[in-house]
Amino acid sequence: MASAATADVTKQSAAPGWGQRFFSLARTLLRRPSHALGTLISLLFLVIAIIGPLLAPYGANEQIVADARDGPSAAHWFGVDTLGRDVYSRVLLGTRDIFTLAGIGTLLAVLIGTSLGLLSGYRGGWFDELLMRFFDSVLALPALLLALLLLGTLGPSRQSVLFVIVIVYIPIVARVVRSVVLSVKTRSYIEAARVQGESSARILFREILPAVLPALAVEAALRFSYAIFLASSLGFLGVGVQPPSPEWGLMVNEARDAVSQTPWALYFPAAAISLLVISVNLLADGLKHVFQMDGER
Amino acid sequence: MKTIISRILRAFFPALAVFALLLAACGPSPEATGPAGEPEATQAEPGEERQTGGTLRVAFQSLVQTDPALISSDAEVLVANAVYDYLVDVDPVTNEPTPRLAAGWDISDDGTSYLFSLVEGATFHDGSPVTAADVVWTFDRLRNPDSGYATVSLYENIVSVEAASENEVNFTLSSPNPFFLYDLSDNHALIIKDGTTDASDFNGSGPFVVETYSPEDRIVLVANENYFVEGQPALDHVEIIFFAEEGAMVDALRGGQVDLVMRMSTPLFESLQDVEGIETTFASTNGFDLIRLRSDREPGNDPRIIQAMKLATDREAILELVQQGYGSVGNDSPIGPLYTNYHDPAVQPPARDVEAARALLAEAGYPDGIDLTLHTPNTGGRPDLAAVLQSQWAEAGINLELSVEPEEVYYGDDGWLEVDLGITGWGSRPYPQFYLDTMLVTGAVWNESHFSDQEFDALAATAGGSLDEAERADAYAQIQALLADRGPVIIPYYFPVFGAISDLFTGFQLEAFPGRTDLHTIRLK
Repeated sequence: MASAATADVTKQSAAPGWGQRFFSLARTLLRRPSHALGTLISLLFLVIAIIGPLLAPYGANEQIVADARDGPSAAHWFGVDTLGRDVYSRVLLGTRDIFTLAGIGTLLAVLIGTSLGLLSGYRGGWFDELLMRFFDSVLALPALLLALLLLGTLGPSRQSVLFVIVIVYIPIVARVVRSVVLSVKTRSYIEAARVQGESSARILFREILPAVLPALAVEAALRFSYAIFLASSLGFLGVGVQPPSPEWGLMVNEARDAVSQTPWALYFPAAAISLLVISVNLLADGLKHVFQMDGER
Repeated sequence: MKTIISRILRAFFPALAVFALLLAACGPSPEATGPAGEPEATQAEPGEERQTGGTLRVAFQSLVQTDPALISSDAEVLVANAVYDYLVDVDPVTNEPTPRLAAGWDISDDGTSYLFSLVEGATFHDGSPVTAADVVWTFDRLRNPDSGYATVSLYENIVSVEAASENEVNFTLSSPNPFFLYDLSDNHALIIKDGTTDASDFNGSGPFVVETYSPEDRIVLVANENYFVEGQPALDHVEIIFFAEEGAMVDALRGGQVDLVMRMSTPLFESLQDVEGIETTFASTNGFDLIRLRSDREPGNDPRIIQAMKLATDREAILELVQQGYGSVGNDSPIGPLYTNYHDPAVQPPARDVEAARALLAEAGYPDGIDLTLHTPNTGGRPDLAAVLQSQWAEAGINLELSVEPEEVYYGDDGWLEVDLGITGWGSRPYPQFYLDTMLVTGAVWNESHFSDQEFDALAATAGGSLDEAERADAYAQIQALLADRGPVIIPYYFPVFGAISDLFTGFQLEAFPGRTDLHTIRLK
């Protein structure tokens, strides 16, 4: 019953009053402290990603020879690494890197994955079978292993990492979308649309897609958090974004040898990764909760 | 896969676990001490007959080659130097040739004939005595043009190697070579038995005998009771345990699982300072990382470009950041301060002047700066050097894109000889002529900058052929001045090598090429 109601509500969402609805959703999201915290910290990182260069006291690769290897202080909040670079500035500036990589990667994966999932679920038959078995075989490989395999052939670069994130996450998004489509497409309002003679494209995008959106939003948020993790793991393993970029995983890798000398150069970017991943996860959890509540109303 | 997982665990797990602690106090992380496994009692084993004894456990990279003609890595040379003997060795302190299997030598006045007499009582591990025939066989093998060995070109100058008697060998050269004794001490020139069919059988005459060799695990050596030097080796056993990573070696040293580590990065070396029970040491070397620009095509064929790069480089800052102050500042020539007879401290490249560098670039037709890709292997201090250069040169309008590559990519398919701008590491050698002949003279085998300068070639020929020490020194001085002014390379520093040993041992003398360190002089305190 709940999902039928969801479908009805989402159909209304195209009508005026969406602003009001948005605020009601947002209020639900912020009701629980953990969800609120996750949302706020995620937003904070987003803001840093946008205006980071204005906040950073130093350039990402600016070398302050005299302060090299200094610990955290008023002048250098997160200390200085072995090459004399301000860790606070690098963490701030690295935020944009991780957001563009993980963000654009997730966005593309969601766009392509959703299209494929919609098509696969709606058409069914041999197309569905073929695509899903192919995705199964891709998913049989652990994400990191698949990423390493792909990067081994593409060579390490920012574009390669982006490509890898998209390739690794398309199957996952497509399967989630397809499962929702399968449960929705036998509903009576879809039948009605078909009987009315509406085109497949119209049914897919006007009738089915809105029903998929809540699940998709949650999935996208989850994918985003995993993409952050994947991008920094690849950076850490040295096959992702290349030095001297202030990518967090790469910073952790570079600081590894000097951990007893400049531990701050390792712990702050590592903490940034964990903090961002945790808060985006909380946000995803919150979104899931919101759409459930919304559905039950 | 195992290393990937352990890397992730090593970095991420403590990072998350300790983060809360660190927020409270951002001091250095607590250092793990104490052995992780059960204590090993090998060190305390008292020698019974000899006044010596004990087991030394060394952490090193695993061996790939064990045939003396094919070895190259430090670990391979370390084992070879323990199991075999060189005819001539080089003293780590004075850098002078010293006898080893050769008891002494006579050089003809024209410098083309060398007569070596062999020490008494040297035997191979299979019991047979070391004779002149073995030396002849060894060097004929190393210089056999069909063998493809790295030593073929090194020994091109040798006309013949002949046994003058049972224990005397005569080398005849086609032209005088003032550095011939050093050439004889080349890493590969270990004496093997006449007629050896499998040269990786470890049948040497050296201070240690191979007991077991488990590839990728360890090699166990026992003292050669019949070694011809009285009182050597001092140790009963040496175990060389193979590790994939420097970090793991240092951790094993801290934990007491190994006693000696040679070769480690500067931060790892720094982390071992003031650790109880561990003595650290470092040796100055003539090894360096150089930045070189191809000089035979655009844009490097305009000498103003390399001059602008020299002007844009702050060498002191590079030494401080990349080497943490260890080593010494370079003067753009491979003839470093270790060669006390030849290095000229008066020769200095121009001091940093960003404006002058900009002006030179503008003159050369790049008023808005120049964009270049800097290729570098991902090992040692090279990525750091690249990052520092990128920032220093940007101020002068030289905008670098970095391409940090695994060594096999950088050196693979001779790509490093092709690229316009690259960073290459050069190991330490006991004499300077090697660098000139392989790196800088016209058409040299590793002339990565494609440098061709008649004046330089003539000076290098003089330095490498003259038997007159003063004339040689003069040629080397002129070479240094020439390179500082218009050479195609920037040598910002000469790097040191680092070692650390348990304080239960003494007699450890780290060599500039760590693999050539003698294990047979190390003893228990």
